[in-house]
Amino acid sequence: MSLQEFWDYLVLGVMLGSLYAVIAIGYTLVYGVLQLINFAHSEVFMLGAYGSLIVLQLVNPGDNPSALASIGFVALAMAGSALFGGFTAYGLEKVAYRPLRRRGAPRLIFLITAIGASFFLYNLAGKLFGRDPLPLPEMYDNHEVFSIFGAGVNITQMLQFATAVVMMVALDMLVNRTKLGKGIRAVAQDAEVAGLMGVNIDKVISRTFIVGGVMGGVAGFLFANLNQVSYTMGFIPGITAFAAAVVGGIGNIRGAMFGGILIGIVETMTVPLLGDEWRSVSAMVVLILVLMFRPMGILGERVGRAA
Amino acid sequence: MLNKTIVKLAIPLAVGALALTGCGSDSGSGDAVKIAFQGPLSGDNVALGENMQNGVKLAIEQANAKGDLDFKVEYVAADDQGLPDKATAAAQKAIDDESVVAVVGPAFSGATNTASPLYAEAGLVTVSPSATNPLLTDPKNEFKSFLRGVPNDNMQGAAMATYFAKKVQAKTVYLIDDKTDYGVGLAGVAEKGLKEAGVKVVKKSVPQKTPDYSATAKDVVNSKADALIYAGYYQDLAPFAKKLKDAGYKGAGISGDGSNDAKFVELAGDASENWFLTCPCTDATVEAGTKKFAADYQKEFGRAPGTYSAEAYDITNMIIEQVKGLKGDVQREALRDALAKASYKGLTKTFSFDENGEFKGTDVYLYQVKGGKIAYQGNVNELVG
Repeated sequence: MSLQEFWDYLVLGVMLGSLYAVIAIGYTLVYGVLQLINFAHSEVFMLGAYGSLIVLQLVNPGDNPSALASIGFVALAMAGSALFGGFTAYGLEKVAYRPLRRRGAPRLIFLITAIGASFFLYNLAGKLFGRDPLPLPEMYDNHEVFSIFGAGVNITQMLQFATAVVMMVALDMLVNRTKLGKGIRAVAQDAEVAGLMGVNIDKVISRTFIVGGVMGGVAGFLFANLNQVSYTMGFIPGITAFAAAVVGGIGNIRGAMFGGILIGIVETMTVPLLGDEWRSVSAMVVLILVLMFRPMGILGERVGRAA
Repeated sequence: MLNKTIVKLAIPLAVGALALTGCGSDSGSGDAVKIAFQGPLSGDNVALGENMQNGVKLAIEQANAKGDLDFKVEYVAADDQGLPDKATAAAQKAIDDESVVAVVGPAFSGATNTASPLYAEAGLVTVSPSATNPLLTDPKNEFKSFLRGVPNDNMQGAAMATYFAKKVQAKTVYLIDDKTDYGVGLAGVAEKGLKEAGVKVVKKSVPQKTPDYSATAKDVVNSKADALIYAGYYQDLAPFAKKLKDAGYKGAGISGDGSNDAKFVELAGDASENWFLTCPCTDATVEAGTKKFAADYQKEFGRAPGTYSAEAYDITNMIIEQVKGLKGDVQREALRDALAKASYKGLTKTFSFDENGEFKGTDVYLYQVKGGKIAYQGNVNELVG
């Protein structure tokens, strides 16, 4: 691999990784407050993509919209995906997890429910929106904007990366600087004690789900903008992002960001070095290596502590 | 506590499973003859399955409407999602229904490979309008009930190779398979053809459902290949074609019948422009023999016939004709033997099979996406000259 090729793939890897990071945060947040792996998060992601598709079909960008209109369409699509993602995650918590929590159900039941909810949601989406993949209408003319170390970056990639960074910074500030963030950290550290101290646990958990859902939904839109929308699109990115969350240290927000980007780079670099068929293998090898030497993940579990 | 909950969960599951196994084998009514279609009727490549299903349905409907049959033909759907692991259940559904006398399909090569031993055992004949992996008719498999109604990938892969070597005059070809039975088979033949023609080949496997094709597209550009063969299905080719355009790929691209669907153009948009697509199928809306069929199809389903619609229609009619020939006593094995020996002139081509169930005939047709439409170019052998 030449130096130029190295930079090319590195940039692509960081772009893809930033998306994994945003999805991984959804797993980590929920794990932080509930010690639950929300396997239905990949469906939150998928439904977010459908949300943006529905909005775009309603407003119909048509051919070659002006630059200003393009920004508007992107913002609307993003809002649609955030709404769908947030609402799905909120609904999931309310319907699937809260009743179990009230009854003090064992962890295993939560996990089964999560998998069941995931099956239910993706089949529901298949039934509602059809089982054929659908293209996201073009909102702008995608062309190269600038280059980093000679690696060209186009509008789609810029949008993808910038959105991911903005969302991650906003989340970091939310968790560390706001009252809700304090609540999230308190519940993550010790839910019972937090409750005794006057934290409304139900509210905090519900809002945590919404925050994770909004991020997952927007990531769904960005992914669909890269490829297409289909009811099965959640599974592979979902599992990969879950692995990324574990690599970074599940329950650790900055860990999820770090893990996501690391997995994105590893997957992308695999393509020129070993070939496409080894992508998932190399991601899982990274996961196994990390678990062998640092079972808590690279940065460890720490939603409960100040990040 | 935990054990109790698991038991509580397990009881309804077990009861449900028992109930399900009970409803597999209802036998049909006296005079009706059922023809099944096995292919993707849900899942990722559903458009390819629906194209064929509609062809089968139209043939059945017209046969019933004509009124010269002393039996009634009914349709049975066996959905395998185009997936090998769903194919046995779909096949079993067709086999268990005793009034099913023949199956159109299975549609995909991988699914055909897993389903065919079951059909062979049941003596239930399957005539596929689209499963093109060459190995399916290998006598070693003993797929005794499998007949192929289409030239296999040896022809299609060779046609791609010939077209790129002679017409496009490519120096280096980047060859991708999608790791399915269909893709690997097609790519293997194309590779052989290209090497024989002295073209340099860069061969890669890119599994279906790769979440992001950016890196692959970059790899294609970096390889300096001036042509690309994608052996796989439209669902994956569409995002890949988009990424190739983004990465600045300027060379020629070709894919086979798995991508030859209007859905490819819809999903990939501008990025699908100028892509070549091959198919052992003719364009029903262009060829003179199938114009009426295309109009009937349009009227019935509100859209133009797609890839293999006309072939599925022909095969269904061929089956109905053979059933007629058996004069009321329709045994599965007898119908299988009759079909294997038959020669039927359909709208698209003449269907006849060699002793292994292989289609007799070699014609492959070329299409190219132009102005957002898949435009019919003609027979590859004639185009290359």
